[in-house]
Amino acid sequence: MKNKVLSVLLVSAMAVSMLAGCGDSKDTGSNGDSGKKTEQGDDAGDAGQNDVTLKTVSMFGGTDPNVAAYEEINEQFQKDYPYITIEDNSQTSNQDWKAAVAADFAVGNEPDVIQYFTDATANTVLATDKFVTLDEIKAEYPDYAKDITEVALKATANPDGVNRAVPTTGYWEGLFCNKDLFDQYNVALPTDWDSLVTAVETFKENGIIPIACSLNAVPHYWIEYTMLYSAGVDEYQSVPETAPESWVKGLEVIKTLRDMGAFPEDTDTIDDAYAGQLFKDKKAAMQLDGSWYAGGVEDAGNGDTTVVVAFPGVPDQKAEANTIISGMSSGFYITKKAWDDPDKRDAAVKFVMAHTSKEGIQKYWEATGKIQVTAAELDAPSDLSVLGQSAMDLVNSATATALPTDARIGSDPYSVITSSMSQVSVGSASAEDVLNEALALFKELDAQQ
Amino acid sequence: MLYKKKWPLIIFVIPGLLFMLIFLYLPFVENIKNSFYNMTAIIEMPGTKWKFIGLENYRNLFTDPTVRVAIWNSFKMMILTVVFEVGIAFVLAVLVSNIKKFQQVFRTVYFFPVVISATAIGLLFKLFYNYNGGMLNQILEFFGKEPVNWLGPDTAFAMICVPTIWSYIGFYFVIMLTGLSDISDDIYEAASIDGCSKFKQVFHITLPMLKPVFATCVTLAVTGALKVFDLPWVMVPNGAPQGSTHFLGTYMYQQTFGLGNYDYGSTLSLLIVVMGVLVSWIVGFFTKERD
Amino acid sequence: MKHKKVSVGKIIVYLILILWAVTTIFPFVWVLLNSVKPSAEVLSSSFALPKVFTWDNYQNVFESMNIGEAYKNSLIISGSVTIGVMILSAMMSFALTRYNFKGKKIIESLLAASLMFPVFSTIIPVFRMIVKAGLLSTNLAVILPQIAGNLSFATIVMIGFMRSIPIEMEEASYMEGANVFQVFIKIIVPLCKASLSTVAIFSFMWSYNDLFVQKIMIREPKKFPISNLLERISSQYGTDFGLMAASVTMIVLPVMIVYIFLQKNIIKGLTAGAVKG
Repeated sequence: MKNKVLSVLLVSAMAVSMLAGCGDSKDTGSNGDSGKKTEQGDDAGDAGQNDVTLKTVSMFGGTDPNVAAYEEINEQFQKDYPYITIEDNSQTSNQDWKAAVAADFAVGNEPDVIQYFTDATANTVLATDKFVTLDEIKAEYPDYAKDITEVALKATANPDGVNRAVPTTGYWEGLFCNKDLFDQYNVALPTDWDSLVTAVETFKENGIIPIACSLNAVPHYWIEYTMLYSAGVDEYQSVPETAPESWVKGLEVIKTLRDMGAFPEDTDTIDDAYAGQLFKDKKAAMQLDGSWYAGGVEDAGNGDTTVVVAFPGVPDQKAEANTIISGMSSGFYITKKAWDDPDKRDAAVKFVMAHTSKEGIQKYWEATGKIQVTAAELDAPSDLSVLGQSAMDLVNSATATALPTDARIGSDPYSVITSSMSQVSVGSASAEDVLNEALALFKELDAQQ
Repeated sequence: MLYKKKWPLIIFVIPGLLFMLIFLYLPFVENIKNSFYNMTAIIEMPGTKWKFIGLENYRNLFTDPTVRVAIWNSFKMMILTVVFEVGIAFVLAVLVSNIKKFQQVFRTVYFFPVVISATAIGLLFKLFYNYNGGMLNQILEFFGKEPVNWLGPDTAFAMICVPTIWSYIGFYFVIMLTGLSDISDDIYEAASIDGCSKFKQVFHITLPMLKPVFATCVTLAVTGALKVFDLPWVMVPNGAPQGSTHFLGTYMYQQTFGLGNYDYGSTLSLLIVVMGVLVSWIVGFFTKERD
Repeated sequence: MKHKKVSVGKIIVYLILILWAVTTIFPFVWVLLNSVKPSAEVLSSSFALPKVFTWDNYQNVFESMNIGEAYKNSLIISGSVTIGVMILSAMMSFALTRYNFKGKKIIESLLAASLMFPVFSTIIPVFRMIVKAGLLSTNLAVILPQIAGNLSFATIVMIGFMRSIPIEMEEASYMEGANVFQVFIKIIVPLCKASLSTVAIFSFMWSYNDLFVQKIMIREPKKFPISNLLERISSQYGTDFGLMAASVTMIVLPVMIVYIFLQKNIIKGLTAGAVKG
């Protein structure tokens, strides 16, 4: 309730300032999520009379914990606006699905609203120039994306620096540790390379898999953190012509770890779900993963025996301790197709606002275990689990943050690295060649955009 | 040939051909065209232009070590498929067609693995092979032996072949059974009366009569082996470990959907088709009826 | 003496058959068992009997989606594909086994080649065509490409069977003045009942299980066929294994029914009567 009052106040304040600021926006206005009824009797109001079918697509599909929040908001939305019918087609993002989305945009079958990537992964779709920019929408609907923080907006600008999407939550990546195993074998939680090595050796001796990881399917977190810590934030976040030595050295740390027996014996063939299960079953002591993994750990009943800590480090690291990878890389877009349709324009804006208002974001945040970074400022959480508390500490004590590699070079060049990691980890491919191949592919794709 | 007038051919052949022309051949021609361009997305997005790169992809075929691995694996798979899939299917079909009781039951259950999706079978076998607590290692443990990494570099290929071949035997079983059902009982009866044992009947009657069906099965088996994709992909995606279990089908899929290398994927699919045609010609040459 | 020998052989035969049956039944039982387990248990103890018996996985499936509608869509799509493939492949294989004509070799090679076309390489142009024709998210968008996709396989199989049908039976009727079409419908088609059933089984099964084409062509959840819908529920490979096992069971059932129903036609000695008559 308090939120509602606040947002009404904010909306009115913003509306007033907008009206005062620029005269040309007087026809349209602030029919935001705060009030169901709009004051306007003209354009926007008329749009409300017609039945509208809104085609929406999101990545909140399958067993993603966000699904519950997404669907709850949609349901409420349909109740609030009975004249709007939502035709939703959400799916967990994977390669097939991304190809299908790209195909849709290419042949003109794009949806009205899509929740999609904002980083270089979206380049293919962005190239079709079918999204409306945030500025354009805000010119007409001043309170669009009003709850979103500056930081979040900056994070979700597209690679060309223009904001088109409105984000909900972000992510972080960290080292999950089975605290009970560490206590049992009297090992300290790793804080640097040496203590990581000690932990690996101790667990190895005691028949516990030190690190659960599928190098074949999801080596992503290891690639990102070893490179980041070896290179330091600035060099890691650059996109050079050829791979810097520090990147190569970073990836070679993975080989060092593998030679030590840090990964499961069958790390080349198990899938990610199974690696995660090893960790949840306490057969493995550590797992480097993203914030989306925490929900599964909580569900397995391990919320109070698991903690997440910052990546410990690599030999001769350049990054400061507690540097974390975190970011926000997806959001709700409105397509020009919907924007140019007078009936749909208003409905699409209302839809996105329902999902990206403070209340909407609160729902997403709760649904995903209260550990995500949010795009709006929410009240401080209570009743956190041990894992939840450690996640909060991780984010709060971060000395620097960086975005993962694919945010800069795009998903296809990044796949070149991830798909070769298993080879690199046994020495049958050279880290330098792999990185250079990925960078060359990035350059080639970039030149054609 | 019995029928002298040729015009009914138009009615018999054209509708089917038209279907395939529109939905298979023309799209595939486009696929060939794509292999000469540097595709940046699966479709030429409005606002982008693909660069013509000529034969670059084809040159890559010859230098890419994974292509060699994939061809070799596919070739091995072809032989194994013909020998075991078609072979076991034939034996089972002959046995089943010779019994009276429970025939229906066997015919039904033998088809189970064909129907159950590759995802489920792949998961099942992964749980057999798992290093930590997989079924096979549990058995080894029971006998006090060291666990084995079944999907390690040395054994992975064999471990993948077993379910891949096993799961499709039911398919050839049904085709063989159909072929057997076309052979008249009278012939067997006559042979029995002449004192020909059941075992001999298989060689002197069943095999020769089944020759065209065998030819079909072998063609399907070798071409199927070239295309083999879903089960290996579910069990060991990306040709794990270290790309050593790639088949042409899985490598093409990885290039296309895993790495977004659509043009190279197109080139690989052309390679699959060319090899498939070659192989089925060879099969046709050896199984052709001498008439 | 002879009688006894036969029974020993019979026992061996049955032993072999039962042994094989065990391997083929096992996965099915395994899927069934795991479909009534909580998901976490599938990975940790997949070969044990369920510790906790639960209908949750099925309940999830039923609650989240309109299963009935999805089954209907699947049956319409796969039923049409099956019938289309049966008719077209019978006609093509009749022409290719009973006629000699220019281009026959080329058609045969084309058939063999298209057997090899990976669907991934033809889907995009087809997708574009379907969009242009305004057929996206209709059943036809799946039916048309699937008929084409299954046709080459079906025709090649039918050619194999038709070659083994002796030409004498047609000869008699043709000489008596029936035209080609009458011969085809009245003699060939009934004779091919077994092989047509085989083709039908596989066309149905492949069409039904062909998730990839369905995923690309049907974009509206309301129109999803069953395997598409269930894949959406259990989403990616290996996230929720209990749910996956339940979906697999539900996907498999219709195919099993179709198979059991059709394979009755594949009975030994069907042609015997015809030859005698």
